[in-house]
Amino acid sequence: MSILEYNGAAIIAMTGKNCVGIAADTRLGIQAQTVATDFKKVFKVNDKLFVGLAGLATDVQTLDQILRFRQNLYELREERPMTPKVFSNLLSNILYEKRFGPWFVEPVVAGIDEAGKPFLSEMDLIGAPVYTDDFVVSGTCSGNMYGMCETLYKPDMEPDDLFETLSQALLSSVDRDALSGWGGVVHIITADGVKSRVLKGRMD
Amino acid sequence: MSHASTMQSIQQTNGQHYLPIHTSEGRTPTIPVTFTAPPTDDDNISHIDHGVTQAPYERSFSPYDFNGGTTLAISGKDYAVIAGDTRLSSGYEILSRDVSKLHTLTPRCILGSAGCKTDIDQLRSVLDIKMQMYSHNHRKDMNAPSVAQMLGNTLYYKRFFPYYAFNVLAGVDQEGKGAVYSYDAIGSFERTLFSATGSGQSFLIPLMDNLIGHGNRMDERKEIGSEEMVEIVKDAFVTAGERDIYTGDSLEIVVIKKDGMERILFPLKRD
Repeated sequence: MSILEYNGAAIIAMTGKNCVGIAADTRLGIQAQTVATDFKKVFKVNDKLFVGLAGLATDVQTLDQILRFRQNLYELREERPMTPKVFSNLLSNILYEKRFGPWFVEPVVAGIDEAGKPFLSEMDLIGAPVYTDDFVVSGTCSGNMYGMCETLYKPDMEPDDLFETLSQALLSSVDRDALSGWGGVVHIITADGVKSRVLKGRMD
Repeated sequence: MSHASTMQSIQQTNGQHYLPIHTSEGRTPTIPVTFTAPPTDDDNISHIDHGVTQAPYERSFSPYDFNGGTTLAISGKDYAVIAGDTRLSSGYEILSRDVSKLHTLTPRCILGSAGCKTDIDQLRSVLDIKMQMYSHNHRKDMNAPSVAQMLGNTLYYKRFFPYYAFNVLAGVDQEGKGAVYSYDAIGSFERTLFSATGSGQSFLIPLMDNLIGHGNRMDERKEIGSEEMVEIVKDAFVTAGERDIYTGDSLEIVVIKKDGMERILFPLKRD
């Protein structure tokens, strides 16, 4: 039994035409037992930037607090919001600081930079980043999610199409994983703002 | 175990031999060592230590190897489609780019297997013999549900030293409807709408749930014809080939209908 699979999670982020979407399930479990169906794994950093944290639930919540602290500090000093690239680098640094006793999370960063271009990155638990321009996944059913995204993804989708694609990819992937599911949430980030929707899926 | 170095460490004072024991503390205690005459040979002990009593270590031989690959089978209203990639690998090496995972059992029934190639080949030989005997005894070919049952039983015969073969069976049953059966390694089976096994199964199964099982979808369910199904299978294997290192090279698809089989070969990425 791996520590990263103790609580269960599924997170997908995808790019569209001048927009990004990030979706996550909402299950919190203790191995086989489901304990909550409204557990937040995707957190807003600012209006153009979201971070999704998959892994051990205590570290997910602690890192959320740490990242909010660091982001507030940055905004006070710099008097401007953090760009996705900078935030991703900061997160990578925070994770590597704990190289020999890591935070058990595998995060996903999704946002839009100042020029309006979508940004995605994914990291392992010690901060090794991967930057892609199509999609990133993280969680206990990552094989399932890779298969769904690879097939359903098309470049330059409009926000509504992106929402449909993300939802189908997430719901179909978590339905074949015992540790994730029990509800889902999708955030679509565009230059005009964020639209968040709750998904109705199988509650098992 | 190096007896030579032990011999070199032995010190001698006043006729008594001592072996120093090195510890993390400052001092070096010693233990007395005596050399006795070896026991006489009437108790049949071998005095050559093969390295297993002084310093035991585990030797292990695994009878199984994983030769990779993915198979997929989908049933339609009056046809079934079965597909498998043609790569044979072992570890990080590719042994062949052109080995079929599909085996024709009857003109209306095909078995696809992924896993350990030698077990798969042996399983097929055994099945072929049984099919021949059935065909001599009953003067007809076995129909798909009967083949399915026979395969399940054959696998269970080796319950305690299994065939490392993950099978899917596809065919057309006696009523002309498409039939797909999924198996585990010890013969538990079930008739299903679709089945995928092998290294790429986790990439394919949720996709099939969505497209063929129509899961999580609000739009109207349409029946899928055999040509469209073949395109879906090609897309699925392109996906599996991208993300799974053991899947690739080329794809072999067979469409089974009541009146015959059609074989299609489709190239995949060779990386």
